[in-house]
Amino acid sequence: MKNNKRDGTFYINPYLGGILLGLVLFATYYITGRGLGASGAVKSTVVTAVHAVAPSHAEESGYYSKFLSDDASPMNNWLVFEVLGVIIGGFISGTIYGRLKLKVEHSPKITDKRRLIAAASGGLLFGIGSQLARGCTSGAALSGMAVLSASGIITMMAIFGSAYLFSWIFKKLWI
Amino acid sequence: MNKNYIFLTILAVVIGLGILIMPETKHDNQIKPVDLLIAIDDPSRFLSTDVITDRLVKKDPTLLLIDVRTASQFNSFSIPGAINIPLDSILARSTAEIMGNKDLDKVFYSNADVTSDQAWIINKRLGYKAIYVLQGGVNKWFNTIVINEIPADTEPVEIIELYQFRKGACQYFFGNNETGSVKESNAAPKKAVVITKKATGASAGGGC
Amino acid sequence: MTGPLIPMGVIPETWNNVIALIIGIGFGFALEASGFSSSRKIMGTFFGYDFVVLRVFFTAAITAMSGIIYFDFMGWMDASMLYINPYYVSSAITGGLVMGAGFALGGFCPGTSFCGVAIGKIDAMIFSAGLFVGIFIFSEIYPLFEKMYNSGNLGGAMIYDMLGLSKGVFAFLLIIVAIGMFYAATFVEKKVKKVDY
Repeated sequence: MKNNKRDGTFYINPYLGGILLGLVLFATYYITGRGLGASGAVKSTVVTAVHAVAPSHAEESGYYSKFLSDDASPMNNWLVFEVLGVIIGGFISGTIYGRLKLKVEHSPKITDKRRLIAAASGGLLFGIGSQLARGCTSGAALSGMAVLSASGIITMMAIFGSAYLFSWIFKKLWI
Repeated sequence: MNKNYIFLTILAVVIGLGILIMPETKHDNQIKPVDLLIAIDDPSRFLSTDVITDRLVKKDPTLLLIDVRTASQFNSFSIPGAINIPLDSILARSTAEIMGNKDLDKVFYSNADVTSDQAWIINKRLGYKAIYVLQGGVNKWFNTIVINEIPADTEPVEIIELYQFRKGACQYFFGNNETGSVKESNAAPKKAVVITKKATGASAGGGC
Repeated sequence: MTGPLIPMGVIPETWNNVIALIIGIGFGFALEASGFSSSRKIMGTFFGYDFVVLRVFFTAAITAMSGIIYFDFMGWMDASMLYINPYYVSSAITGGLVMGAGFALGGFCPGTSFCGVAIGKIDAMIFSAGLFVGIFIFSEIYPLFEKMYNSGNLGGAMIYDMLGLSKGVFAFLLIIVAIGMFYAATFVEKKVKKVDY
């Protein structure tokens, strides 16, 4: 049994995982008054990087300047630390269940290269979309659903609806 | 199918039924009458036209000017960068969104400061923070910033400096469409001010 | 202790980052242990061979939602102080559609891709790099989107208000719909040919 759990194929029961995730989300709301997030950390990294490389460009841009206030905005730092935690937490879980392995995961029908190109373009689109919608699956959809906000539920339906449509278009990438 | 899931289903339904039958929680964020009275007595909600102008010129992203006059008045003349929320729509949902933004200093203004103060009191009572009133309203702003009497050369440095600041701000907002004579006449004090500004940098910074 | 703790001043702001790290660890663990570090497992939801995303996502949403509603009811937490993402109609929908396309191509969303990075998935690393580039591109061409980005602001609108339901009724319906979907998912999984991943 124990061996079986460590060979990398064991995942916890999805409902247990969901309840764990829900409790984490609830704790986040209870402690900080805000939800979880992921894309926000990337955004603040990009803003900080652009500000460091080209300060005047960042201050003039209509978008970067929104996130550049005099006192380093705490929410953005918060998300960066949270995402660092996500990586640590994922690493812990990966260690326990024996999933640490450097590899490209893809359908046997496609090459590594094709998978990586698809991943890069997917990341690109997700980056753009998450800024438009003011949050990604975790920040806008999941956290929004927990407080029953309109933006959360509408964004969730838009993401999953369009993902269903596009996944059939890109079916060859997956199965 | 795993039999245990039936228990989970029942648990979820029971939790849901609990939510269904519980009365909706009311949240009252309004501040206490006593606190409101104290706040009304506190003149620190009034910001002067010069302070606001300075922040406008510096493009302070945390400043939001809110014009509480009617839309027609707003369209005929308004302070650059202001948004229009007439007093009668001060309780609209879109207003609540703006008022709830803790990162913005919300400054109300009207023609004088009566209507804007009313808007301030309504929002103060609703518990919103970082709200202010532009002292003297758009009239004072126009009279101090746009119409600007040239001080005599014998006036104290502070007065000339203030004049220079207002003049510069006016040009910043409305472009340099002044007559040539006005421009020439202030050429001399301009030089003097550049020097004095450095000397009195600290006090000028504190004042604005 | 009435929550939310930090906005209420129960926990000083200086603890913010420590709490963020701990919450992040919990978040990352829950995602990875449920299998969200594997793009092919995630994509199972869209092809019907593994509905783990659907199960975890909706279980988490209704768990957190119930927790918040009950704590609010008991007076342990002031739900009106919670941050509600403003709802900008067109940008939320457009952004969601773009993200869906990215989801279908990349097989991750930002949170899950970081989990993938943590266990050494190269595709997840490339996806995360793509995220940075995407956000950079968006910021650079922001003026093109500015009008859409700021249009149709409905503020922190609540879905139950928009539908004209009470909070309790909507939450109850959401739980029932979620349970229905879980059973439907199990049913579909049995019909669809298993995919090895």
